[in-house]
Order: sequence, then C-alpha cells, then structure tokens
Amino acid sequence: MPGVVAMATAPGAFKNGEGFEMQTFLGFPRPGEMAGTRNYVLVIPAGRLLNIAATRVSNYVSGTKTVITGGENGRHKKDRERLSRIFVGLAKNPNTYATIVLGAKKDFGYREVDPYILAEQISKAGKPVEVLTVEQCGGLNRLVESGIALARHYVHLASSVRREPVPIDRLTIGVKCGLSDATSGIAGNPSFGKAADTLIANGGSAIFSETVELIGAEEDVAARCVNRADAKRLLDMVAKVEEAAKRTGEDIRAINPLPSNIAAGLTTLEEKSLGAVRKAGTSPIVGVLEYATQPTKKGLHFMDGWQSSFSLPMSLAAAGCQISIYQLGGDDLPSIDPPMLATNTGVVAPLMMITGNPRTAKKAEDSIDFSSGAIIAGDSSVEQMGAALYAKIVSVASGELTRGETIRYSDALEPYYLGPVF
Amino acid sequence: MFHALQLEPGDNVATLVVDAEGNTELTIQAPGKTVVLMTVDPISFGHKVALTSLKKGDIVSKYGRPIGRAMSDIPKGGLVGVHNLEGLRGRGDLVQERGASK
Repeated sequence: MPGVVAMATAPGAFKNGEGFEMQTFLGFPRPGEMAGTRNYVLVIPAGRLLNIAATRVSNYVSGTKTVITGGENGRHKKDRERLSRIFVGLAKNPNTYATIVLGAKKDFGYREVDPYILAEQISKAGKPVEVLTVEQCGGLNRLVESGIALARHYVHLASSVRREPVPIDRLTIGVKCGLSDATSGIAGNPSFGKAADTLIANGGSAIFSETVELIGAEEDVAARCVNRADAKRLLDMVAKVEEAAKRTGEDIRAINPLPSNIAAGLTTLEEKSLGAVRKAGTSPIVGVLEYATQPTKKGLHFMDGWQSSFSLPMSLAAAGCQISIYQLGGDDLPSIDPPMLATNTGVVAPLMMITGNPRTAKKAEDSIDFSSGAIIAGDSSVEQMGAALYAKIVSVASGELTRGETIRYSDALEPYYLGPVF
Repeated sequence: MFHALQLEPGDNVATLVVDAEGNTELTIQAPGKTVVLMTVDPISFGHKVALTSLKKGDIVSKYGRPIGRAMSDIPKGGLVGVHNLEGLRGRGDLVQERGASK
C-alpha cells in the first residue's frame, strides 16, 4: 500500500524476502517532508568566472560538491534558464543540506545566474543558503578563503543531522542507459524497470529521459501516459528531436546508435530505443516534465533530456532524483578491469552503475554496483533481478556507497541546451 | 541452455547470447518454445540472426516492433546488422537525397 511506513529498521535489518516489500529507507530529514540519501553542502558558481573559486572551495572542504559547466555567456534566455534550473534544482535536491552561491558582485551579468536571484529561489526550500561575492569579500582569493570558512561551517552543521527511517515514498530515482548493447533491452533495462515498478507500487517515484531514444518506441510510451495532454507533449518532444536529427543531413546511425552500440550488435536507432524504454518498467506515466524541472506528483515520469553521461545524471538530480542509475551495456568496452574510470556525474545524487551483461560485469568489476547478467546466462529472471536491484537501491539510499562515490572524480558537466550560441 | 533469444512471437530476428561460428546449430529460446536453427554466417554475442529468409525491403522486427528494413535479401540463419539492415527514423541523409532529386 503506498505511503505505509513499515516498522523502523536498522540498515542491516533490510530484507527483501518473500512477502516483504521494503517501505522505508534511512534518510536525512529535510524540510517539507523530504529526505536526503546524502548530506552535502553545495557550492554554486553563479557565472562561469566563478568556476575556479567553486572548484577551490569544493576541493578543499570535504563533504561538499560543486557543479562545473561551460557557462552562460552567449546563450539565449531559454538556455540560460536551463542553467539556472540546474543550479536551483541541485540546491533544492534533498541530498543538499546547505548551499553557498559564489558570485562576482551585485547586478553583474545575466539575471538568470545572478547569485542573489538564485539564492532567493533556493531559499524557498527552507534550507540554509548564503551568497558570497568577489566584491564583498575583497577579491577572488579572499572569496575562496571566505567560501572555505563558510563551507566548513555548513559541513560541520550538516554532520549533526542523523539518518532516520523515512517512508520510501520520499525516494525519487533517475535512470539512464549507456553504452547500450543487446543485453540492455533484454536484461539490464527490464530489471531496472521491475525495480522502479516496485518503488512506485510502494509510493515512490522514478524519472526516465533520453528523448532521442524514444524514437521508434514513442507510441508505446505515449500510450502509457495517464493523461492525454502529457501523451501529446511527449510525442511533440520526440518529433522535435527527430526533426533536428533530420536537419543534420546525416544518417542518424552515424550519431546515435553510437559506434560502440553498433559494434555490440545494435543496428538501428529504433532497435536501441525499443530496448531503452524497457527501463521505464510497466507503471503508468503520471507526468511528462520539461528539462530539469521537478515532478509535482508521485509515480513514473518522463523528462525531456539528453542522454549524455555528463549531462543527464546532473539533470535528473536537478529534477529531484536522490539517486540515479546508469544501466551500462558495455560489451564493446576493452576487456580489462577497469575498462574505464567509474564516474559520478549526478553532483549531489550518487550514480549507481549496473549492467545486464555478464561479460561487462566481469571486466568492469571495479565500477559495477549491481549485475543482472544472470538473466542472459539463463540462470535468473527479470523478476528476481528486479527484486534484488530494488533492495540494492534501498541500501544505497540508506548510505551504502556506490563504486563511483569511492573516488573523487567527476567529468565537466553540460546542461542540455537548445542552442545555438551567439 | 540456449544460444539466442527471440523476444516476441512475430519477430524475424533473434539475439545471440554466445559467439557462434557459421554453419553451427543454435538453440533459440522463443516465447513458449525452443527452436533450432543453423547459422549461415559467424555471429557474435549480442548480434542478430535471421529466423526466416528475408527479401530486400522486408521489415525487420524485434521486441514485436519494426526496427528497420532489409537492404538486401538475407538468408535464414544469416547475420542481420549494419551491412543489411537500415533504420527508417531520424534519417537526415534521406531528407538530403529527396531534396537533391527535386
């Protein structure tokens, strides 16, 4: 039954045995009946000039995160608003305890990244937020010093917040699939879909995205929208990206599927899409979201977005996801462990890496948090793997680190912009 | 033990979960049954095998949905991939060709 709180349990007591659906996780309580799976202090560079200061503060102070992007200059209003939604969304995410906004001075640059306007929007979440500027601190070096002092103060305050059992309906998870191969649509994505269905049945929420990868599967997805206006908006979003793809003058296969997808056996975009949408499980779609906006309902949502791993996890976190899942195919990766560095591009939301490919699980043990590869080997079912993955997600929500979280590495990030630039 | 999966009853391709040589007998798990098929080509893990002989222009389906069109005749047991299957969506190159022939 959605919203029912099971008896308070210690993390070790979480079980997903017969007839027992986990209905709580251990989260950091936040204002507005929200709960964090993590407890970070976020440092926002309000304007690209502040990237260096935000990087210095975040590198110096443990327990902080920052978000480094190419910035706002030369972008039109709709794109600057997208950047602003990323900043505000990450600050409002329940995983963020407090936010420091670094700026140049009052009334400098575009209004969408004005530090005071950002802070005003962030303050509506009822959490600590403060602006520091170059002008007010007496120079960039002093801004870094003041930022470090304030960040240390906030991190210390954050440490007094304790995890406690909270209803699982306070959990929103995001998903992307990446380096997809034939196992993605058969094992990995359906297993995640099953886990998401379980979370949603227990009152929680999930967001999937990757608009380009609905091409060829959009009718089936639109038919699952609870209301007709959402179905139409979803189809419009897909039509828009398909038109843009055609304007390139290229065969979409030269762009997406990626060379790695093709080498692993996926031939056409339609084939990739039909496998990709398996990650949306079977729950009704209760909402269709514009890029980097938060749901207002519980349940399954689609969000317009770009699939890149240095864009989507951050964007899902800005939409309120407290964990994101990267469903890796990976058959074309080099056969050494690790074939790539585990990365953690959700900023405040941990990125869990899972795969449905037993060969990927073997060669990327160092990076993989969960494997449903037993399905391909014929040794397990989507139902069994989905249940096990749900238990793993609840455990990560309750504090278990992902492999990606054990190293301090994140790519430079990029919001999904419409372009062009001027 | 199976070597390939047919996902939906109407699909005319199956996905290999092993690496197979040409002229090899494959056990294919189909919805509700198992079928046996000889490969014509070597086919790697994750790639597709034709379950029936396909004519140029035939729609290829997987997941019970069209994934593209055969660019040439494909024998039963043959490899189905970028060399003989083309997608039909998002094809900017086709738009250009149509534009040029006007």
